[in-house]
Amino acid sequence: MSKQFAINPKLDFAIERFIDAPTRLVWEALTKPEHLKEWYMPKAWGRVSRTEMDVRPGGIFSIDIATGDGREVPNLGCFLEAIPMERLVWTSMLFPGYRPAVFDDIPITAIITMESVGTGTRYVFTALHRNEADLEANKSSGFYQGTEIAVDQLVEHVKSMK
Amino acid sequence: MAPTAVADDVFYALSNSTRRKVLEQLSAGPATVSELAAPFDMKLPSFVQHLSVLERSRLVKSKKRGRVRTYEIAPDRFQVAEDWLAARRQLWEARLDRFDQYVKELKEKESAT
Repeated sequence: MSKQFAINPKLDFAIERFIDAPTRLVWEALTKPEHLKEWYMPKAWGRVSRTEMDVRPGGIFSIDIATGDGREVPNLGCFLEAIPMERLVWTSMLFPGYRPAVFDDIPITAIITMESVGTGTRYVFTALHRNEADLEANKSSGFYQGTEIAVDQLVEHVKSMK
Repeated sequence: MAPTAVADDVFYALSNSTRRKVLEQLSAGPATVSELAAPFDMKLPSFVQHLSVLERSRLVKSKKRGRVRTYEIAPDRFQVAEDWLAARRQLWEARLDRFDQYVKELKEKESAT
């Protein structure tokens, strides 16, 4: 892959896993609503209540999560890149259709890569942040921890799809 | 954007009680992000996500002065929801009128025999 982005450990975090399943199944689990609802939200914290995915550049990324007390929180963004079984990139800095979003929040760009290794897949989830303060906020708010739990749930879910 | 996509955004924005409460609050006048967030027991980043859904639907608009962002109602988009509901109501009223008429005709036929 050409170096369109570089991870800066001071600003970003990456979570890497080996999944014992083909990239085709990993891609499905990442892009299909019926699979996303099985792993995207840590099960002890809540569930996915609504998903809308138009997996192509400019398409909508929308996953609403519901916490244990029944409160729903939207996550809305725009896909930037979608190369099946290779790379998926979305950002919360843009509304769907590349429309500039209004944000006082902590925006991220998520870069998800997958690569065939033997009969399995090397999976990397990277979250790019604007600055060190944003990364720190996402680490202390539970976003980082939640993402790690979700990635583990993804690994388990993909194995069950085989 | 196609009219159905606009209606999708509007009804999706209206589909959550937190967002409806924000709209109720804004109906009383413009408010800052922290004023809007105050009644909710919710972390600010989560709350701001709700504001971004409202802003995307264009039911609200915001302005930033210095470090303070102020939100206000944008009444135009409420018309989208109102028009859709009004069209459904008209359809059903017309249907009920025809039903009324039909029953009346049945009654007249019956009394004629």
